[in-house]
Amino acid sequence: MDELHYVGKDRPRPDAADKVSGRAHYIHDLVRPGMLWGKIKFSEHASARIVHVDTSRAARLPGVRAVITGYDTPEVRIGFLRDNFALKRDRVRQFRDEVAAVAATDPDTAAEAIELIRVEYEPLPGVFSPEDALAPGAPLVHERDADGRPLTSNLLSLTVSHRSGDLAAGERASRYIVEGEFSTPLIQQACMGTAGCIAEMDARGNLTMWAKTQIPFLAQRDFIRTLEAMGLPGRNARVIVPTLGGAFGTGLDTHAYEYIAVLLAHRTGRPVKILYDRREEFANLSPRQSARTRIVQGCDAEGRITFRRLQVVQDNGAYTSWGATYPTVMLMPATSLYKVQNVEFDAKIVYTNNTYAQAMRGYGNPEVTWPIECTLDQLAEQAGIDPLELRLRNKNEPGERTPMGLQVTTCGLGECLEFAKTKLGWASKRGKQRGLRRGVGVASLVHVGGSGRIYRSDGGGIILKLDDFGNVNVSYGGVEMGQGLHAALTASIAEALGVVPEKVAINPTDTATCPWDVGTHASRGAFIACNAAIRACAKARRKIFSLSAEVFAAEVTRNLKGILKKNPGYTPPAYDVGAGCRPENFELAAGVLWLKDAPDEPWLKLELGRVLRALHFRGVAGQMVVEEAFYEPPSELPDWSKGVGNMSASYAYGVQGFEVEVDEDTGDVRILHAVAAHDVGRVLNQQTLRGQVQGGLAQGIGYALYEEVKTKDGRVLNPTFTDYKIPTVHEMAFPVDMCFVETNDPAGPFGAKGVGEPGLVPTAPALASAIWDAVGVRINDLPITPEKIVRALREKKAKE
Amino acid sequence: MSFEYLRPRTLSEAWDLASARPGARFIAGGTDVMVRLREGKVRAPALISLRAIRELAQIEIGPPLLLGSGVSVSELQANPHLARQLPVLVEATRTLGSVQIRNAATIGGNLCNASPCADLAPPLLVHEARVHLASADGVRELRLEDFFVGPRTSVLRPGEVLHAIVVDTPSTGRAIFLKKGRVQMDIALGSVAVLLETQGRTCVRARVAAGSLAPMPVRLRDVEKVLEGAELDDRTIATARQAIERDVRPISDVRASADYRRHLAGALLERAVRTLMNGGRR
Repeated sequence: MDELHYVGKDRPRPDAADKVSGRAHYIHDLVRPGMLWGKIKFSEHASARIVHVDTSRAARLPGVRAVITGYDTPEVRIGFLRDNFALKRDRVRQFRDEVAAVAATDPDTAAEAIELIRVEYEPLPGVFSPEDALAPGAPLVHERDADGRPLTSNLLSLTVSHRSGDLAAGERASRYIVEGEFSTPLIQQACMGTAGCIAEMDARGNLTMWAKTQIPFLAQRDFIRTLEAMGLPGRNARVIVPTLGGAFGTGLDTHAYEYIAVLLAHRTGRPVKILYDRREEFANLSPRQSARTRIVQGCDAEGRITFRRLQVVQDNGAYTSWGATYPTVMLMPATSLYKVQNVEFDAKIVYTNNTYAQAMRGYGNPEVTWPIECTLDQLAEQAGIDPLELRLRNKNEPGERTPMGLQVTTCGLGECLEFAKTKLGWASKRGKQRGLRRGVGVASLVHVGGSGRIYRSDGGGIILKLDDFGNVNVSYGGVEMGQGLHAALTASIAEALGVVPEKVAINPTDTATCPWDVGTHASRGAFIACNAAIRACAKARRKIFSLSAEVFAAEVTRNLKGILKKNPGYTPPAYDVGAGCRPENFELAAGVLWLKDAPDEPWLKLELGRVLRALHFRGVAGQMVVEEAFYEPPSELPDWSKGVGNMSASYAYGVQGFEVEVDEDTGDVRILHAVAAHDVGRVLNQQTLRGQVQGGLAQGIGYALYEEVKTKDGRVLNPTFTDYKIPTVHEMAFPVDMCFVETNDPAGPFGAKGVGEPGLVPTAPALASAIWDAVGVRINDLPITPEKIVRALREKKAKE
Repeated sequence: MSFEYLRPRTLSEAWDLASARPGARFIAGGTDVMVRLREGKVRAPALISLRAIRELAQIEIGPPLLLGSGVSVSELQANPHLARQLPVLVEATRTLGSVQIRNAATIGGNLCNASPCADLAPPLLVHEARVHLASADGVRELRLEDFFVGPRTSVLRPGEVLHAIVVDTPSTGRAIFLKKGRVQMDIALGSVAVLLETQGRTCVRARVAAGSLAPMPVRLRDVEKVLEGAELDDRTIATARQAIERDVRPISDVRASADYRRHLAGALLERAVRTLMNGGRR
């Protein structure tokens, strides 16, 4: 590859200055003329029949423009299985069920109106754990599915299974076998920017939605379907994405609050904004699913993994989001994290009357990496093999085809493990610091690095519009949600087109102006966008070079005249400009067009803008340079009934390691040092990548040590940051050694792989391993709180 | 949520405003009241801010040391005299909330909120602080220890204002405040303040107080009795741990179990005593 000028460099993100100086406009800042404020009345029961809703007092409150319920609005069915409704009628199934909504002239009036709505319920029994929900005779959360077919169980029809190799043979070949039950909690995505939207309808019934979404085009489809349900067929829903203050998976589905805003906007004829406050966000926005996994794993005397069996049960909550498809991602670590031939995987997902869950960064991967890596540590302990050495012996390698059918093109797992080993001082520390209550631990990850196909298209389109000043206006349908997509895209376009990054401007994501994209998930944003951009840039270069042959000579002749006017003594070199203006002889770099066989003459160089103006203002021959490309990655939609298929164009690997000190008396875990090594294919932007890895680490540490949405009978008990603890700068005050292994993947843009999600995948098992090394206790249920450590230490002492 | 907001400049003006508005609440930094108001846990037709009343915002070095109730936590934290005379209180200020919270919150608000986890209470309790409660009828003085009645309940009468906190010549002993949260910036799961005067290894005077380990911030006299007059050896410390685990009355909630809090009380006490014996903190 030629030398790279912008890709991989340490440049500030294009959106950074506006964000830190308060100039970026989030949904919280947006106001539309005549806008009303919507507010939702949520259920006061986890499971109940709605007997009566009295909205009369709310409707009479001055400033209230509309009060709506499920009884006086069209039925709007929503959700991945269409088992949910924008507004509930007759029955509530979770505490956050939307029973009524108001639109008022200001937020305080809307809040006051909500308090005036009286709902009479007849409480029904509920189920609050998958175990209870699957017990014989358990009350059904849903009596019928979306098509009206009666349901007989709370088990969803979305089961995912995989069988490969011969499990019994694997067991027989095992010298050591470890089994256990592990769990990961319900956690909140904890976006800095809470959820919100503005719905606005024109007089013809077309909708414009400012939405906090990661899937503008699937949302467009959802909203168009809603307009149809509202008696407005043939109308359009335009989705505009404002600056997002984090999404982490919360934007993978459309939400009841958005449909309620549409219903209120339709009813009032005014734009309606709904914005969650932090408490509403915690109590009423879907968190990450909890999962409980039974695992059995074995290895032979040399520590080679012989077989692996996982049985996962997930709590879906009362309705179904895309998050119910976590098992499609769980399959990846289950079958393909380290070399393992004999694998069984089964996942069940169960309706309960708990808050319904949705997607979050990593999407099933950390849930399953947790038990795999924890039991691998125990196998190493039993086999008397150093746990890092055991991982090296089983590491994935390029060219491997895993039991799931994943085709490993490039793989830097070995390099990542070696980096962690060196930087942690593994040889002198593992198993040698118990006297100091200090320990080291590592864990690995595999994740999709070339997008993840879970829909009939996994592609995305891009449009490059070059203007008269050499600016490159970019319209891409994916979403910048804080992860740094625009930084990666800017570097890639500047590099691939041959302009300076300052000339690249990325337009707001808008379904009216941007080409289709399936959504920003599966760490696919930069991978798809930059691949599409490279193709569009190649087309733009071809067009510029072919058209420039027609205008270049006239422009540089004017250049020469200007030089001769200033400097009559100048003798230009003998060069036949007409003959030099061949498309293949042009080069564009840093926004300047020049001729490859005359690279040193200043007058033979033209600013791109000047060439574009010359092309534009040519009378009837005038031409614009606007190019598009659509990129569809070379991957397969897996056969979910078998759990087999090469779902991604490449796979990302990584290792995290920690040194910790554990206070045996209080149970406190102090992180002394962290290592994060990632096979990223190629670095697109250094700063953004470091931010992604650091952020993933913080989120992973929260998942491992602090975070849990606590519920009792379906009610969220800790809906504020007072009692939902995420790491702050104090908890992140330790050195982090980062390593980016550049494996230069053939499918990647400039060789890059996706790296959005991996940062939080191996964090918990790496910390758990370090805690074991420090004080000799293992905790199977996240988060690993001081209280659990103290209890485990007490039990250990009682046994000794 | 609508209410009248009033900002008197003198105490007598504040009392006049309050007596004309039944149910009105005094408010200082608002870091607790405003949150509870928004959550609907507190309702008040009027809020009477005490922030503009200058006499409440004073620190007199004394002796006795007098801290106006309106002094902000940040001001306490930055005061050089306090750093010398009452370092354990300054230590506690650093653990209270965030910088933004400390800029708004006041010492009086922290105490009047009467939360079991009030971070400034245990250090003041080990220094046997007294409080001046002022109303239109005059001023009464009582021990801080007698100020708290239960969770979010104090002896303050309607219309009464916490005027100042008074500490007689601070003890010559050394004191320490230890607090444990789930993360560093957190409400205490448990906190312990210990003040010790020693002669050699013998403890001649001990004051122990705790936060978040009982329905209110408390002095722990049984623990003090174990320490006073005893040699501060491993056995005494073990006995003191047993005493504090008996003496505290923690609850189980979303933050921690009573069992863990009880254990934590012992762990914090032991660490506090050992740190003081080894010459740490003062």
